[in-house]
Order: sequence, then C-alpha cells, then structure tokens
Amino acid sequence: MPGFSTQARKLTVTAARTYFLALAAFFILAFGLAADLGPRLQAIESAHPRYDNFYGILLGDSRDLFANQFFVEADVYYHSGYYPTIFDQTKAFETPHIAADTGDVASHNQGEETTFMGPPRDWIDAFGRHFVPDRHTHLDEGGPTDDLSKSHEVAEILPWLKIAAELDPENIQTYVVTAFWLRTRLNQPGEALEVLRSGLRNNPGNPELLFELGRVYFENYHNIPRAREIWEAGVRMLKQQVAAEPAGARNDFDNRFLLDQLESNLGQLEEQAGNFNAAIAHWRLAKTVSPSPAAIQKHIDELTQKPWIPPGSPFPR
Amino acid sequence: MRTICALAGVVIKELYRRKDFYVLFVITIIICLVMGSMNVFNDNEIVRYIKDIALLLIWISSLVIAITATARQIPAEKENRTLLPLLAKPLTRTQLILGKFFGCWAVCGLMLVCFYLFFGLLSATREHQWPLLHYLQAASLHWVMLGVVISFTLLGSLVFAAPSSTSTICFVVAAGILLVGRYLDRIALSLSEPWRSIVYAIYYAMPHLEFFDMRNLIIHDWPLVEWKYIGLAVLYGFAYIVVFLAAACLAFRRKPVN
Amino acid sequence: MKGILKTDKLRVEYKGRDFRQGPKVALQGLDLEVNSGEVFGFLGPNGAGKTTTINVLLGFLPPTKGAASLFGIDVRQPIARRRIGYLPEMTYYYKFLTADELLRFYSKIFGLSGAEMDRRIDAVLNLVELQEARKRLIKTYSKGMQQRVGLAQALINNPDLLILDEPTSGLDPVGRMKVRAIIQRLKNEGKTVFFASHELGEVETVCDRVAIIAGGELKAMGKVSDVVAQHGTNLEAAFLDIIGYQPQPI
Repeated sequence: MPGFSTQARKLTVTAARTYFLALAAFFILAFGLAADLGPRLQAIESAHPRYDNFYGILLGDSRDLFANQFFVEADVYYHSGYYPTIFDQTKAFETPHIAADTGDVASHNQGEETTFMGPPRDWIDAFGRHFVPDRHTHLDEGGPTDDLSKSHEVAEILPWLKIAAELDPENIQTYVVTAFWLRTRLNQPGEALEVLRSGLRNNPGNPELLFELGRVYFENYHNIPRAREIWEAGVRMLKQQVAAEPAGARNDFDNRFLLDQLESNLGQLEEQAGNFNAAIAHWRLAKTVSPSPAAIQKHIDELTQKPWIPPGSPFPR
Repeated sequence: MRTICALAGVVIKELYRRKDFYVLFVITIIICLVMGSMNVFNDNEIVRYIKDIALLLIWISSLVIAITATARQIPAEKENRTLLPLLAKPLTRTQLILGKFFGCWAVCGLMLVCFYLFFGLLSATREHQWPLLHYLQAASLHWVMLGVVISFTLLGSLVFAAPSSTSTICFVVAAGILLVGRYLDRIALSLSEPWRSIVYAIYYAMPHLEFFDMRNLIIHDWPLVEWKYIGLAVLYGFAYIVVFLAAACLAFRRKPVN
Repeated sequence: MKGILKTDKLRVEYKGRDFRQGPKVALQGLDLEVNSGEVFGFLGPNGAGKTTTINVLLGFLPPTKGAASLFGIDVRQPIARRRIGYLPEMTYYYKFLTADELLRFYSKIFGLSGAEMDRRIDAVLNLVELQEARKRLIKTYSKGMQQRVGLAQALINNPDLLILDEPTSGLDPVGRMKVRAIIQRLKNEGKTVFFASHELGEVETVCDRVAIIAGGELKAMGKVSDVVAQHGTNLEAAFLDIIGYQPQPI
C-alpha cells in the first residue's frame, strides 16, 4: 500500500501543477486581452463621442430615434394632442410646426392642416371621432401681445424638447426651437441663452445656433454690437461649413435659407444702427439667396432714396 | 348571484394579498415623482408631461394587472386542484366564469380608484384644479376597457395551455389594438388578397379599445365628450364583454377538468 | 336501505394522443350502487378507473355511455351535488385564505349565511381539530392540517354523501388516525361515505361494503367480510386475488 500512496501523491501533485499552470495561463490570457483591447476600446469611444453620456451608453444610436420621437411629441403637445399619425395625411406636418413657426427653420409643409383625418371612412372611424376634438389648435394662440396667460401654455412643449436635446445633443433644431419659445412666448431670454450656449458647447460654431443667439441679443437684450458680432460669425461659419461640405451633402435649400436669414437680420440690425451702407450691402447679399429677390430689391431702393440719418438713430419702419 | 359574489370575493382577496398591485403602484409613484422633480427651465407650472407619463404608467400597470391576474385564475385552480372541490359544489361553470370575471373586474376598478386618486393629487399640486368630470369620463371608459380585456383574457386562459402564454398573447393583442386598431382598414388597403379581406374582417370584428383611451382628454384639457357617446361606448364595451364571456362559457362547458 | 349513488353501465373513453391510437377505455360498463348510511370502499390498483368514476360522479367528466346519478338526479345537474361533500386527493387550497375564510366561501356557495354559517363552520372546525388555527393563512399549515381543511370543506354543507379520494394519502400515522376517526364518527352519525383508497387496512377497518375494479371493470362488490371470505384470508389477499396479481420471484 505504500506504493499506492506514493503513486496517488504523485498524481495529486501533477494535478495541482496542471491546475496552477492552467490558472496562470488563464490570467496571462486575460491580462493580455485586457492590454490589447483597452486602447482599442478607448479609440472606439473617442471616435464616438456621442456615447459619453448616460443616454448614449444606454441607448446607443437608437437615441436619435427617441430624440426625434420626443421632438415630434413636443409638436403634438403644441397642437394639444390633435395631431396626425403616420396613417393620416401628413403633408401639412412635414416640418413640425413648433419649428416652422419660429421662422428660423425652412418649412416643407404643404396643404391644409385642419383636414388631415379626411372624411370618416366607416362607422367605426366616425364613432371614434366623437372622442377627439374637431378643430386644429396651437398652444400659442393669442400670442404674446393678445393673451399672455394663454400663450404661457406653450411652456408645455418644453419638457419634451429638453429630453430630445439630452438624447440627441447634435440636433440643432431642438436648441433653436426651445430657445425661440423661451424668449418669445415665455419671456425667459436668460434661459434661451443657456439653451443656445449648451447647443454651441455640443456643436461648436454652428451657424444656426449663432443666428438664434444673435436674435436673443438683438431682439431681447437690444445689444446691437454683440448681435452683429455673432451674426457675422454665423455667416463666416456657414460659408466655411458650405465650403467644407462635399457637394450635395447638405440641403442647399436650407443653407440658402439660413444665409438669407442671417443677411436680412444683419441688414435690419445695420438699419437700426444707422449704418445704411452696411445695411444695403447685407440686403444685397440676402437678395442673392432669397426666394423673393424682388421684394428685397424694392427695400434696397427705398433705402437708397432715404435722407441721411445720423448713426445711432432708430430707423423708421 | 350569491355564488358569483362569493367567487368574486375570493378573487379580490387573492389580488389584494398578492404584491403585484403594490409594486406597480409604488413604481408609478416613484417614476412620477422623479419626473415631476425635473427642472424644466425653472417653470413650475408645466404639468402636461407629468400627466402624460402618469397616465401612461397607469394604463400599462392596469393592463398588466388585469391580464396577468385574469390569465392565472382558472389555470391556477386547475394546477392546485382547487377547481375540483369547487366544481363539486352546486355551482355551474358559467357561474364560475362570471365569478372570476366580476372579481377581476372589481379588483381593476379598485385599482383604478387608487391610481386616479394619486393622479388627481399629483396634477392638483401643479395646476390647482380638479376636473372631476374629465376624470370620471376617462376612468369609467378605462374600466370598461379593462372589462373587455379581462373577458378576452378569461377566454384565452381556457384556450391556451399556460398562463404565461395567455398573458403574453393577450397583452400583445391589447397593445396591438390600442396602437394600430384604428388604422387596420388602411393597412388592409395596402395588402393583396386574401390578406386584405382577412385584415378587414379583423378590423370589423375586434373590439376597438382605442375608443376607451381618454388620456388626451385629461392631458390636453379637451372639452368633455358628450355623455351619450360615453354611454354608447360603454354599451359597445359591454357587448364585447358578453360575447367573450359567452365564448368562455362555451369553451369551458365541455372541458374535462380532471 | 336506499341506493343514493348509482352508475348504470358506465363507459368512459379518452381520445388517444394521436389519431393512430384508438380511444383509451377508462371504464367499461361499470354498475355501482351505494346505499344510504354505509361506508363504501372503492378499491383498485393504479389506473383502474377509480378517479375516473369519481370524476363522472361529480360531473367533471361526461360519460361516453351509460348514466350516473346521485340521490336519483343525473350527475350532470349541479343540483345533484347539493347534498354531497367531496375531498379530492392532494389538493392545495387557496394559500392566501385562512381556514375560516375558505369555509365561509364554500358556505356561501351552498347558500348558508349568518348564524347558520357560523355554527356550521365552528362545528366542522371542531370536528377536524382546526379551531385554534382557523385565522391562520392556509399556506402556513402542515400537510396533515391541509388535509383536514379539505375534510372540513367537504363537510361544510352537512352532506348526506361524502366522496373521499385517497383521504389519507401522504399523511403520517397520526394524521391517518385522525382522518380515520373522523370517518368513523361520520359513519356513527349515519352519513354515507364513498371512499376510494389504496390503504386496504383502513378500508377493512372502516368500510361496510367494498367494490374492487381493475382495468375499468368491476371485479367484485359486496360486504367486506364476504369478499374476504370468498377470496382470501384478509382484504389484501382478497384484493390481490381479485385483480389477478401474480407475484414474481425475486
């Protein structure tokens, strides 16, 4: 039996050695893989900065879908829930009205807004319509000058816009729309500035954001030098952007629309500042991209016929 | 009637002694409070998004409770063999089905009272008003809708073998009807035969649960729906409840229970 | 003596699992008659058709042919079950109820109410010795206590006929003794007990008459003493002889 126990001891020692060797091999493999994969992962993360926040990690690329859904939800709220679905006639809702109504975004809407449901198709559809309102409304009905208390209802769209911006920080429209409603209907230009600054942090030098930022300074704070500085920066950035873009990468219609807005607003700003020559120069640039050049030419003609008004005097409108 | 009430009473006792409702209720409260604490540009009067989220959670919770509670009723009686001493008593299978239905429906009613009370309190803290008639219209149609869901789940629990499959199928059906039921006719138009006729048949035969979804009425302060249409919707719901219960009774009548 | 439980050429067929298999015959032409006031033992090996017979008697299963009646009423009528109590084998009663609530629930189905219901619940709980535990949830009960709750629910309507399916199955000796004592007491009260069991010693002790079935057919029926006298030295030997059991050499 001593022979047996020696043999057993040998076997046990061999098994233990094998076990420790396997364990060591496993650790070497694990550390090796970690050392190799760590930098790769960092490279992937740095190539995809969108995954740097909670929503990015949680939802990945699908967060854009959610963000878009919440942006549309804001528009649904803007219409108090009376809104078409994908099964309804949606041509009048191609561009969300919350965006189109800001004037900063080119509208692609066509046709009548109120008849998206069409006539009832059958008794089920007809009966179902007794449970929804039969009229098209906007939350800002009455506007800031008519009925302020009612226009405050537009604030109800803000949570969805905030969530949409959190989910997709690269969606410019969300910041522009949020800032517009904050400053025009809710009298919160400070909050609008914060939103736009946050947008610019996520999208440095974006001309659309610069345009809206300039509007806050111009229309709400009447800070002409600051607004001029920002809009001129906007024009520069837009031109750089267009030059850097490959042909057909961006909708030319949208670029022209934005340049038209920037130049027209700069024209107005210079008129207010009494710099008519500069104003005319901006209006001429606006004319080159405007869908209604005749109207702009008419305005330029009016300006050239005006008597000299000293700089700083408000331009009569 | 006494037998049906006794059966319903046991269902109610079962459901209030289980934890399902409390868990969903607490989750709803927590989510609503967290969402309510979100700072939206320092504006404390914004309320609709909280109402929207709260009502969505209430709807999901009510459907989950109604379907899971109903789906397990008869299969659990079979599995635990309590069906045997029960059916050995002088009661008919129709009474058993009705007792189960009324029990589950009553539980859903009680649950809705709790949920809508919480909802009312939550929205009152922000908008300082109690649109009671709006709540009444929304909650009553919600309850009738749950009645329809409970009745078809009872039928499903007699047709499908396992409560889990019954729950899944019934949940998919209810959610499907609520989301696309109204548009099935338009979907049918884009299909070729025979699918077109089949989808049309489903469109006309299925219960249109979307009639009972009055969340927007409360969220967006829509004007009250005329009461005659509420009454018609309730009758429409009752008609489907009767049809599904009759089918459940037929399915159960000849089914061996051993 | 009056026959309160009768089956007449009862035949039950189950469908095969697939179409290639023919129907499976569970009972073939079973004739039974149980008289008022007797304890009737219903014996048979596993798969003999005991539970199928009980299922037909309680209306759980429709007979393929033949008829069954309780108190002269067709078993398919719910009213036939008004005067019976039934204790199934291995049942887990509603765990979320107390014994008191469970008995109240069953009482209501029998139309009992108020003081009569309270009195009846007290009586059966005393009989099955669960008075102390009546307010506890059934899920906290031991197996023996659950079986006694089952017996209590079977007795809640003060039935004239009690159908017991393996009432002592899975119980420890004390539990069995208690159940046996209850049956004995019911017998003394003049109740009729229809008792399906494998426990031959128990059957021999408490039953007046027995029926033995095998393969869905009635093999023997009569007084316990007569069956034993005809087929062996005790009921176990008689049972094995009747079902044709041939012990294999080990």
